[in-house]
Amino acid sequence: MALLMQAILSGVLIGGVYALVGVGLTIIFGVMRVINFAQGELVMAGMYVTFWLFTLWGIDPFLSVLLTMPALFLIGVVLQWSLINRVLNALPQNQILLTIGIGLVLSNLAMLAFTSDYRILSTSYSSSSVGLAGIRLSTPLIYCFLITVAITAALYWFLARTDMGHAIRATAQDREAAQLMGVSVRTISIFAFALGSALAGAAGALVAPTYYIYPQVGGAFTLKAFVVVVLGGMGSIIGAMLGGVLIGIGESVSAVYLGSGIKDLCVYVIFLLVLLLKPSGLLGKSRA
Amino acid sequence: MKTLILSIVAAIGFALIPIWIQSPYALHIFISLFIAVALGESWNVLGGFAGQYSVGHAAWYGLGAYGAFILLDSKGVAPWYGVWVAVLGSVIIALIVGSITFRLRGPYFVLASIAVAEIIRLAALNWKTLTNGAEGIQPADLPPLKIGKQVLIADWNGKEPYYYMGLAMALFCIVVNYAVKRSKLGYYLQAIREDQDAAHSLGIPLTKYKNYGLLISAALTALAGSFAAFYIGFIEPQQVFGIDVSVDMVLVALIGGIGTVSGPLVGGIVLVLLNEGLRAAFEQGHLLVRGVLMILVILAMPEGVVGFVSQRLRRRAATS
Repeated sequence: MALLMQAILSGVLIGGVYALVGVGLTIIFGVMRVINFAQGELVMAGMYVTFWLFTLWGIDPFLSVLLTMPALFLIGVVLQWSLINRVLNALPQNQILLTIGIGLVLSNLAMLAFTSDYRILSTSYSSSSVGLAGIRLSTPLIYCFLITVAITAALYWFLARTDMGHAIRATAQDREAAQLMGVSVRTISIFAFALGSALAGAAGALVAPTYYIYPQVGGAFTLKAFVVVVLGGMGSIIGAMLGGVLIGIGESVSAVYLGSGIKDLCVYVIFLLVLLLKPSGLLGKSRA
Repeated sequence: MKTLILSIVAAIGFALIPIWIQSPYALHIFISLFIAVALGESWNVLGGFAGQYSVGHAAWYGLGAYGAFILLDSKGVAPWYGVWVAVLGSVIIALIVGSITFRLRGPYFVLASIAVAEIIRLAALNWKTLTNGAEGIQPADLPPLKIGKQVLIADWNGKEPYYYMGLAMALFCIVVNYAVKRSKLGYYLQAIREDQDAAHSLGIPLTKYKNYGLLISAALTALAGSFAAFYIGFIEPQQVFGIDVSVDMVLVALIGGIGTVSGPLVGGIVLVLLNEGLRAAFEQGHLLVRGVLMILVILAMPEGVVGFVSQRLRRRAATS
């Protein structure tokens, strides 16, 4: 029983990060109907930014979220403004291929710049853990989760209370109607993609102390983000949060009971089942 | 008629090349070209004609490669028999997967195709007794190829046997594409690509015909995959089931022109030449170029080189 509780709690902690990547993906999809296949590569970029901030200037990885997010926000602005904006009315397939291309460029740029070595960011607390009623949880994962919750709360406030947040939600609901109401859809699109990138960057910073950092790490995050978003329902932000936590739990429980080789297999099988049985996701309404 | 004569002349020209070019490096580039063209044409049957953008064709590539390798390595079945068993096996699995995932559309189908390839990759990685896991398989030397009592090919270390087989395979894939495009099946698939609902209301059973397209596409892909595996001589899960394989197949068709017969041929030539030229110049940088190329083609000529050129020619004809 303690083992199961342990697995579930660790799953919730790591699920928070998946939720963050997934929310970024779902905001981009909601506003533009573009599936960003480069989402994981943006996480990878966030990991490298955090790694170098720590290695060169000794900035704590969890503090560096404050720098990583703006940095990735800028990258997002550039990508949207220079590339993605041009295919907004193209076939969905071409949009997908474009973002796959962007992902290839990002991961290969990282490989040219930093080689394909696996890097480890180790802080003084990297291997410490906290005990609670017979359950031990790793300290970096707990920090990671707390910051995830804070970012999510801030995001929720932003979307629910600010004008920009209203404009984003309006554009996601009905692009044309939003435009007729005077929302600059172009600006909102740039902002939404940049916001999605910043969230990916934050996730990258938060997992940097617990993951290996290497140029190809993004692919796994991209796929996981899809699973999370499809599970929760494409375009639904709360759905993505729920999906992230569920996938985190599913992964960690199956790793404990079925072995770590099988855990990713389980995630993709669940993904296919959701696609087939309830393609609108747990909380989604429409099928795009 | 003119195109037919031209194609036959080109094919004979290609068949004569090894007589005066013996440099293994040059032959290697040609063999890479044949593999790329065969893969691009295979993908084109489903992705180009039916508009079902699979980014998971590595599944059929890898199943073909693993099937033939396992048969040779553990059962001693010669590749020229084993390959057909592997192709058959891949097609059966493809049809099972297809009848499930073809219910999905657009981005959902793309995601499902990636997930299927990942599931098969992870299965190959973990089913160690069958596949030897991440260590991969490197089979012993190939037995000599005999017809009756006569030994046809005894030495598999040279590049010439692979050159001719690769050429034959690439030509076969092109001919199949041409035949499909002109057939009733081809018209059905293109109708599905243009408008699924309209095609359905005209009485085309969607999943059934998509599955016919997949059957041809997966069989050709598995054939090319097992050929490539024997040429390289070693396989491991990431190398044959990785998403890079799938993306490369799409890229070949995309650069040349998706949904045209000559597209993957042109795309293969562009991609292989660029790859080799840039590998010599930048070492690792050539992988970066794949991504840049993908972005440029989507933005500047989404119809590919073939579409771009034929549009220019039409425009010139109209103005003169």
